[in-house]
Amino acid sequence: MDKVTDRSPVGGEFEPAPDDGLIICRCEEITKGEIRRAVYDGMYTLAEVRRYLRAGMGLCQGQTCRRLVMGIMAKQLNIPPDEQEPEVSRAPARPVEMRALANTTWEGVGGL
Amino acid sequence: MEHYDLAVVGAGPAGLSAAIEAAGAGMGVVVFDENAKPGGQLFKQIHKFFGSKEHKAKTRGFQIGRELLEEARAVGVKAELNSAVVAVYGNRELAVSQGEKIKRVKSDAIIIATGASENMTPFEGWTLPGVIGAGAAQTLMNLHGVMPGKRVLMLGSGNVGLVVSYQLLQAGCQVVAVADIARTIGGYGVHASKIARCGVPFYLSHTIIKAQGDGKVENVIIGETDAKRELIPGTERCFEADTVCVAVGLSPMSQLLGQAGCRMVNEPQKGGFVPKVNEYGETDIKGIYAAGDVSGIEEASAAMIEGRISGAAAANAAGFMPDGEFKARFEECETSLAQLRRGMFAPGRKGAEQSETDEGIPLSRALLSKGYIDENELSAFPGFRDCSALSETYPVIECTQNIPCNPCQDVCPKGCIHVGNDITALPVLNPKASCSACGMCVAACSGQAIFLVQPHYEPGYALVTIPYEFFPLPQKGDKGTALSRSGEALCPAQVVDVRDAKALDNTRLLSIKVPSSHLNRARFFVKGDFANG
Repeated sequence: MDKVTDRSPVGGEFEPAPDDGLIICRCEEITKGEIRRAVYDGMYTLAEVRRYLRAGMGLCQGQTCRRLVMGIMAKQLNIPPDEQEPEVSRAPARPVEMRALANTTWEGVGGL
Repeated sequence: MEHYDLAVVGAGPAGLSAAIEAAGAGMGVVVFDENAKPGGQLFKQIHKFFGSKEHKAKTRGFQIGRELLEEARAVGVKAELNSAVVAVYGNRELAVSQGEKIKRVKSDAIIIATGASENMTPFEGWTLPGVIGAGAAQTLMNLHGVMPGKRVLMLGSGNVGLVVSYQLLQAGCQVVAVADIARTIGGYGVHASKIARCGVPFYLSHTIIKAQGDGKVENVIIGETDAKRELIPGTERCFEADTVCVAVGLSPMSQLLGQAGCRMVNEPQKGGFVPKVNEYGETDIKGIYAAGDVSGIEEASAAMIEGRISGAAAANAAGFMPDGEFKARFEECETSLAQLRRGMFAPGRKGAEQSETDEGIPLSRALLSKGYIDENELSAFPGFRDCSALSETYPVIECTQNIPCNPCQDVCPKGCIHVGNDITALPVLNPKASCSACGMCVAACSGQAIFLVQPHYEPGYALVTIPYEFFPLPQKGDKGTALSRSGEALCPAQVVDVRDAKALDNTRLLSIKVPSSHLNRARFFVKGDFANG
């Protein structure tokens, strides 16, 4: 984000929609209504929505829902979907058992 | 810490090709794949590939997979399976998850060839068991021998939707409909025709409204949409189905590249977030490359060439391949890639409204909207000749879109079929050559768009030879019904010959006897009495 964003809600009250109950992020069971509401509440980037709702933070790490969440956000923000910032990709890219992480020495990674 | 000259992530068509190229030049190469078996999507692809001989055209995907594995073994590529690369760092270090351990590996160069994942589309009931990706259906059928369901509705008419629909039919499932919100069929017309003649209906400008059932999919409702893609009330249509296959595109699995710190760009034409790469597939981090679908969605043939280029580039950069050799290799690959990236489905032209072929022939509107060519549209195309007066056999080529493919020309021993150097050109029948009825073209056509016809087989009867890839295989003498291009029951038909040979590669040639008037209509055969349906 390189510009200042006005995050105060615009256009009055949040308007519920008939398909708000539709699950979008299957891993974390986040609905379309929750995502729309998060945008209304001022979450304007995918990273913010992920932190706020955990959409895209489950088992598949957003591989299935990322595109869907971005589509809903774009519509809500009234911007083209391709103009949105991607989320930051972080390791591990696949689910890993905690003990596997614990069994590993990480010296030298990321400046450790 | 283990150290390699090159680490490749993903043992699919791009990754294996890259590894072969680099190891062949003398690099010490390791390939990691998270799956238990290498090959990526190739082993699910039981259909014959398009392209020309050098692209391994008319070879089935899994066979290409076997060849790649053989080659990789021969040049000493080390493959580590059940090994998910969970992190790639900018200093060219990888973290590989293996069982209860994470192995850290250092590599001078890294090629990311992680491929793509399927897109989903949310609708009411999309979380019900029975809603699956088309790729998942393919995995169930072609890797595990499991039928995904009995009655399937396919959502999406791109090549994945069309090819998987055909494979569902081959597995014995019923495909109740192919629905797509687009106004025209997205994939190759020849793929659509293969399923249309089996009676699969297309519903273009249709959206899925909901899937419903008690704990699982039992029926599916679709409806027509207007130009703004809004549902037109009153057009709802319900199908009894236990499975919805979603084939609405693919997204590059490019997270590892983003995580390594490569510059990423959102390019809708390429399927989403892809790394910014140069002509060798190298990202803005020196020594980290991306090849195949992860750098932009195409198909396996292009992925293999991209892999070759990146593998050769990595070898060249590390001093394993002299500049001259690399330059020649690169140019050869570029030419091959350019051949595939032409025609009406080329990247950039895909999805654009097109009205005529490169030859200036109006495209078949019926093919784009219903999945089959209307009989009266055929005569405009150079592969069709009305020779009902002729006494000998001749081929009818119902290939009407510019797609990169030319095996028909290569296999004909008599020179009856001409495609030329531009492999996206439509095949032209040579009126001077005479067909020996060998049927090689019928079996070699990956689009199953070539038929042999013999107008005067018996008084009042013609013989039509069709490609056939279903079980149980009809036997000589079997009586049944000839179906039209739309899958409509036309007339009684009898099988007079069933040909099989190694060169036909499991596409059997079924010759059926039909009343002469149906010579240009009969394009499929089913057992069962005509009168009784």
